[in-house]
Amino acid sequence: MQDRIKEILSYARERLEKINSSAECQNLRVELLGKSGKITELFRFMKEVPNEKKGEVGKMLNDAKLDAEKMISAKETFLSNLELEKQINSAEKIDITLPSAECTGSLHPRTIIQHEIEEVFKSMGFVVEDGNEVETEYNNFTAVNVPENHPARDMQDTFWLDNGQVLKTHTSAAQNRILKKYPLPIRAIFPGRCFRNEDTDAGHENTFFQLEGVIVDKDVSVGNLIYFMKEMLSKIFKKEVEVRLRPGFFPFTEPSFEMDVRCPFCDGHGCSTCKQGGWIELCPCGMIHPEVLKNGGIDPEKYSGCAFGLGLDRMTMLSFAINDIRELNSGNLKLFKQFKLKA
Amino acid sequence: MKISLNWIKEFVNLDGISVDELVKRFGLSTAEVEGVEYVGKDIENVVVAEILTVKDHPNSDHLHILTVNDGTGSPVQVVCGAPNVRVGMRTFFARVGGQVKGMKIKPAKLAGVESFGMCCGGHELGIETDTTGIVELDNSFPIGANIKDVLPVEDVIIEVDNKSLTNRPDLWGHYGIAREFSAIFKRELKPIERVDLTKYNNLKPLNIKVETPNCFRYCGLTVDNVTKKISPLSMKIKLNYCGMRDINLLADITNYLMLELGQPMHAFDSKIVHGITVIETDKNIEMETLEHASHTIEPGSIVICDEQKVPVAIAGIKGGLKSGISEKTDSLLLESACFDSATIRRASRKIGLITDASLRYEKSLDPEMCPIAIERLVYLLKNIDNGIVVSSSLTDVYKYHYPTHIIKTDADFISRRGGVKLNENEISDILTRLGFKVNVKNGDMEVVVPSFRGTKDVTIKEDLVEEIFRMYGYDNIKSATMSMPLQPVEQIPEHTLEYDIKYSLASIFNFNEVHSYVWNYENYNKSVGIKEESIVHLMDASKSGHGGLRSHLLPSIIKIADENKNKFNDISIFEIGRTFDELDENNLVKEKKKLAIVLASSSESEKELYFKLKQVVEFIAKNLCGASVTYDKPTKNPLFHPINSCTTMQGENIIGEFGILHPSIAKNVDKRKNFAILELDVRILVTLNKDAVKIIPTSKYQSVSIDYNFLADKSMPYQTIENKLNEFKSSHIVEHSLKDIYTNDESLNGKISYTINVIVTPKNKTLESTDIEKFSNRLISHMAEIGLTLRS
Repeated sequence: MQDRIKEILSYARERLEKINSSAECQNLRVELLGKSGKITELFRFMKEVPNEKKGEVGKMLNDAKLDAEKMISAKETFLSNLELEKQINSAEKIDITLPSAECTGSLHPRTIIQHEIEEVFKSMGFVVEDGNEVETEYNNFTAVNVPENHPARDMQDTFWLDNGQVLKTHTSAAQNRILKKYPLPIRAIFPGRCFRNEDTDAGHENTFFQLEGVIVDKDVSVGNLIYFMKEMLSKIFKKEVEVRLRPGFFPFTEPSFEMDVRCPFCDGHGCSTCKQGGWIELCPCGMIHPEVLKNGGIDPEKYSGCAFGLGLDRMTMLSFAINDIRELNSGNLKLFKQFKLKA
Repeated sequence: MKISLNWIKEFVNLDGISVDELVKRFGLSTAEVEGVEYVGKDIENVVVAEILTVKDHPNSDHLHILTVNDGTGSPVQVVCGAPNVRVGMRTFFARVGGQVKGMKIKPAKLAGVESFGMCCGGHELGIETDTTGIVELDNSFPIGANIKDVLPVEDVIIEVDNKSLTNRPDLWGHYGIAREFSAIFKRELKPIERVDLTKYNNLKPLNIKVETPNCFRYCGLTVDNVTKKISPLSMKIKLNYCGMRDINLLADITNYLMLELGQPMHAFDSKIVHGITVIETDKNIEMETLEHASHTIEPGSIVICDEQKVPVAIAGIKGGLKSGISEKTDSLLLESACFDSATIRRASRKIGLITDASLRYEKSLDPEMCPIAIERLVYLLKNIDNGIVVSSSLTDVYKYHYPTHIIKTDADFISRRGGVKLNENEISDILTRLGFKVNVKNGDMEVVVPSFRGTKDVTIKEDLVEEIFRMYGYDNIKSATMSMPLQPVEQIPEHTLEYDIKYSLASIFNFNEVHSYVWNYENYNKSVGIKEESIVHLMDASKSGHGGLRSHLLPSIIKIADENKNKFNDISIFEIGRTFDELDENNLVKEKKKLAIVLASSSESEKELYFKLKQVVEFIAKNLCGASVTYDKPTKNPLFHPINSCTTMQGENIIGEFGILHPSIAKNVDKRKNFAILELDVRILVTLNKDAVKIIPTSKYQSVSIDYNFLADKSMPYQTIENKLNEFKSSHIVEHSLKDIYTNDESLNGKISYTINVIVTPKNKTLESTDIEKFSNRLISHMAEIGLTLRS
């Protein structure tokens, strides 16, 4: 019996040497371990083994069964690996440098920048509002403290409509509505299209986009404005920026400032973008004029606020190195198809 | 505006402060500096010289050969083209090795004659306007003296941005700017030296009548016995450096006063103008002004007339030619007046004449400056022409006094607005330096605004916040965060949807976003056969070149497609923009926000493009708005194909329309392309009723897939079949989809065959063949209710 076991195992080894397909492995498995396989059959002879040897022989037979299975599986693994290798090596080498189908869709560069800026403001707890393009004289001028005789109200600067309304000359036209709409404290931005009745050239458009923001709360201070603008601009330019305030003049804020940012393109060393000055004038801003708060139903003795305007077109031109503002409204698809979905 | 630092230093001592520091602090505290120019640095080795001999040049009819004494002892030969050369005349002479405005002086041969240097014209040196000859110097200029030792030709000119001075009438003259420097650097501001004219109060007053409330103040004075005609060079230099021409003494000195004090002045010849009447004209007046141009003064403008009401000047803008000073003038009637800013601005714009005077008057000048300017002018004129005689009393008609503003505030308010703790002393100190008077009582501050800041600029306590912190230094304010309650922020659904639509159209559909103008391009529209009417028009249509505002967004986008047609075979563009097609009951525009798409293709069929737009509508409705919409009969909008277009609705609510571009327009835009267009109302999309969210439960049992070929009449829209399929009730999960359509098979007898794939999934047992048969029979008879039969 023991000899027979050894004999079968060495037979199995010999057979496996010659086998080179998984089907043959399966055949061998059946021949040895199948219902009437060579090893299976030996179990039937166990009853003839003397009792004192039954333990030893039984163990030997069990081990033989396991060994045979192990040998066959190992061979099968070896063969399937070989097969896989062959399949891999025979594969066609694909030239992935060939062009793929192109995703040709694009957003307008202004939309890309506007969205990016909006996301920054949203992350700081601002609501993004939306204004009209045609506004009343009240909203565009009176509500934001532009006096009756101010040159901005003149025909040559403003597109007046035959029904007495105006094409809004600045995003501030939405301030009054927003101040009235929201409970205090208010944090809102409102991007929008604005219009000026002027001749167009590379730096001037009669149709352009601004993004304006207001913050109103108890004791909002100039210090708060500086903090906020610095944080916001750092986020937009994706680097720590330095800002400075200079005196400015706008009817809707008091005090009014021009905010300069240390040129993020050359870190203030001087480049063509900052005209070698090291600073870029970016953002008119100021503390909201008490008349504007009053017109919005807010008591300027109790509350104060700051407001700021960003030239969306200017930001877009800076970001994409566009030199002529008229390109933005041109419908020039050769240009616009070069943009994607994000900056 | 150009500011001369030499001039500033006459009023405030700025010793020890670098130009860089002056400019930087001024820019941060007062107004924007556009540029700094160091003038006179490029003038070197230019000295006073005397002409010794003058000979005609043998080879030229205008050149002369001179010898000059430049102080070195031996005469120097020089060739000169100026016509005013004469023996004994002193002039400025640039020696060999020197330079004049960057031009290096070298020995040269002019028309064959050697020349060692150059006699200089005032224009060449930048110190005079005249270009006809060389400078004539009187004998007080010592021969051989360097020009820089005898005249202030070296100066720093600071160019201040006019726009940043809009709200500061006090800064339109050097004295006001000097006051700012004095406040910034804590240096004393010197008083304006002037003649006290009260000593002439016993003289006869002038006959000045002011007949309009828009002339706030009019001061007049006559001065006789003026003998000098030419301004001193030191005055000409300042005028020229500040960008003004020198003309003659009397014109120059009024300009000088304007540049110095910001007060425009006018000098009439008092032999022609004896008295003044200020009127507001109610009719057109023609006048020839000093610069020899004829202007029409329109009603509503202020006009200065003489006693006989003959117009002699356009108030605040320009003097008349006939009444102005001439070569013969030896007596003056001086005007120093103040007018309503808006009246001057409107008149100036209507006439189309913007002058240095009108620019200043537009800013609301301080009437208190009127007599001071006359007193200063007499002081300066007397220094130049000692023999002048004041021949009238200072006649002053003061019609309108601005109120004196007294602002109540306190240190706590100022500190809170600035975000910096300041005490009363610090605040008082700053305000006093700027000319304010401050009274402090028990913590309350009473601030009296000086007249030169009180015409419009400083009236409320917030204005004081600006004054205090611009002087304190905005860069000294520490940035500080805010404390605001933590609250969720609810964004505006319309705004969110707008971006979602744009992003999807670009990313999923590969469309390109464009931005167009809001104008109704009538000429373009007409040229391609688009009938677009405007509801609102621009008031000043002729000037701006734009007529009305668009009522639809599509024509704008079609125009862009047209402009790009030759560059691309396929165009897929969109915009979300405003349209203006309706007025409300108050005659106000009801603005709409529309999405417009134009697809143009030379490879895809109209049907394919039409269906692409349907896919867009389905995507926006279902995927972005969670809503179902229907497709109703063709739109009546003449932009669209009368048959192959449709209205997108939800219930009775019209969302928009899309379809094939009307062939009559398409053929004008581009014959080689197929067009499909869409316009949806974004604001209506936001309001759509959302479908209830229905998730079909999944089952572990095997599904069965069955194809049915149903025959339907051609007139039946597929929607009817789909609705019927949706109505079918079953205990199983039923999903269906349209797999194929056959129309042209003869065996169909003019009907359409729809191959509909139905997937049946049992919920709780395996389907037997009898179950399937039962299901099929029920479905077929259900569909037969709308006349569908199975194709055999």
